[in-house]
Amino acid sequence: MSVLWPDAVSVLRRLALLALGALVWELVARSGMFSPIIVPSITRIGRELWWLAIRPESLVEAWYSVQRALSGFALAAVAGVALGVLMGRSALAAAVLGPLFSGTYPIPKIALFPIFIYLFGIGSLSKVVLIFLECLYPIVVTTQAGSRGVNRVLLWSAANMGASRARILWRIVVPAAAPFIFAGFRIALPIAMIVVIITEMISSADGLGYLVMYSLASFKTDRMLAVVVAIALLGVSLDWLVVRLRDRLVFWERLDSYYAD
Amino acid sequence: MGGPDMAPQTPQRSEAPRPSRGAPRQARGAPRSPYRLLALGVPLAMLALWQVASRFDHPEFVLSPIEIARHFVEALRSGELLPHVGASLVRSLPGFVVGSLVGVVLGLLAGVARSMDQLLSPVVFLTYPVPKIVFLPIVMLWVGIGDLSKIVVIALACFYPCFINAYYGARGTPTIMVWSSLNMGARRSQIFRKVVVPSALPLVFAGLRVSLALSFILLFSTEMINARSGLGFLIRQSESSLRFDLMYVAIVAVAALGYAGDRLLLLVRRRALAWQEVTSR
Repeated sequence: MSVLWPDAVSVLRRLALLALGALVWELVARSGMFSPIIVPSITRIGRELWWLAIRPESLVEAWYSVQRALSGFALAAVAGVALGVLMGRSALAAAVLGPLFSGTYPIPKIALFPIFIYLFGIGSLSKVVLIFLECLYPIVVTTQAGSRGVNRVLLWSAANMGASRARILWRIVVPAAAPFIFAGFRIALPIAMIVVIITEMISSADGLGYLVMYSLASFKTDRMLAVVVAIALLGVSLDWLVVRLRDRLVFWERLDSYYAD
Repeated sequence: MGGPDMAPQTPQRSEAPRPSRGAPRQARGAPRSPYRLLALGVPLAMLALWQVASRFDHPEFVLSPIEIARHFVEALRSGELLPHVGASLVRSLPGFVVGSLVGVVLGLLAGVARSMDQLLSPVVFLTYPVPKIVFLPIVMLWVGIGDLSKIVVIALACFYPCFINAYYGARGTPTIMVWSSLNMGARRSQIFRKVVVPSALPLVFAGLRVSLALSFILLFSTEMINARSGLGFLIRQSESSLRFDLMYVAIVAVAALGYAGDRLLLLVRRRALAWQEVTSR
């Protein structure tokens, strides 16, 4: 049995629940028990999805959401890895920043969104800042844990061979913590998607979250569900990209992910 | 006390079943006394700086910490706050309890039984990166615009971290322990109860912690999108009616609730995992 192409029976067995769900949905939709507004049939959702995929206007909306999510995430990745490495390798930094992070970690940052709207305007910036803040925590926490656990022998040998502190951080600590850093990325990226959709649903005039609310308000539930499916596909493919990137960069450790089989 | 507590949340799904990694992963220890002073000093200094800065010219929507504290006490007395806290808790607690309970149970089952694994895992892992908030509109259509739609969405969001962590926790049970208990004549149900569940417990708590945080995020966003009560509604309403005092009071209440819930969970974990604290030190 090859890893890439498992045999048809096992694929079927794995997707049985999904297929069953789709079948039940379609039967309920066709039976006429509910209005098509409440349970639109899968064929209609599929048609709307096709429309979403080929119309440039809807692609622009998706681009807005992706752009916001990725810019907040990228900022958090850079700042989070830097802070995490610092806190993992310096007792002083851990003592100063640690309580600040662990104290504010359980606070739902989404509550600050109204303040951010006043501070940064109702456009993209307030959303990006909130995404940055929400993504920062998991990345810092995992990076710190990873850079704390770096094998001492590696650090000693690097120091012995005359590497400077900055060089040790960049060449030893960051690669050694890379599996942890990527674990943080994989937690943070879905959070970025959640926050971008939430903020767009709460206050926005563009983006996929807005499109969801707009379709609902105009009772186009088939279109709304098509947008939901599109968001889902987007989330899965972004996660897939992170896993691919991780397997490229952290080639010495295999990730037990669901994309391999 | 904060720093080391956060570490167990780290291994989420991929790194989970890998207990040792070369170097001894001892925590750098609790902050010693000079550091502890510093740890307390930095947030205090920031608050003081904020207070001093608010003496100067500043926009109307920025309040000083002392003002916020005064308004908070006022809102507590006048009863402007507590009904909303109650409304929020009525939505978030059932959602959290139901979602995480179902998640933990199914995750443990999928971790030990291959048929459950093949049935559930593909669906769960494929839908995991989907932001669950997008289901709010469709759930609203099905069960109405009231509390139930919010509870369902919160339960849905809480399900995933619990399922995934319980799944990896159960799968990471040391095989040698299962073999030994089989050897000593334990029944399958006994092995599940006495071996699999305890060894999955640390990760289960990590999942619960993520779920709890998610439940608050979902709570406030569902309340901001549509509600007539609750803290999210209070924030939104006071913001749009320019009552910034009440907005800050609600935000502080949100922060306090999130913080208290997290501490409570950590307390429960410390009791439930007392044996682990001993063995890991």
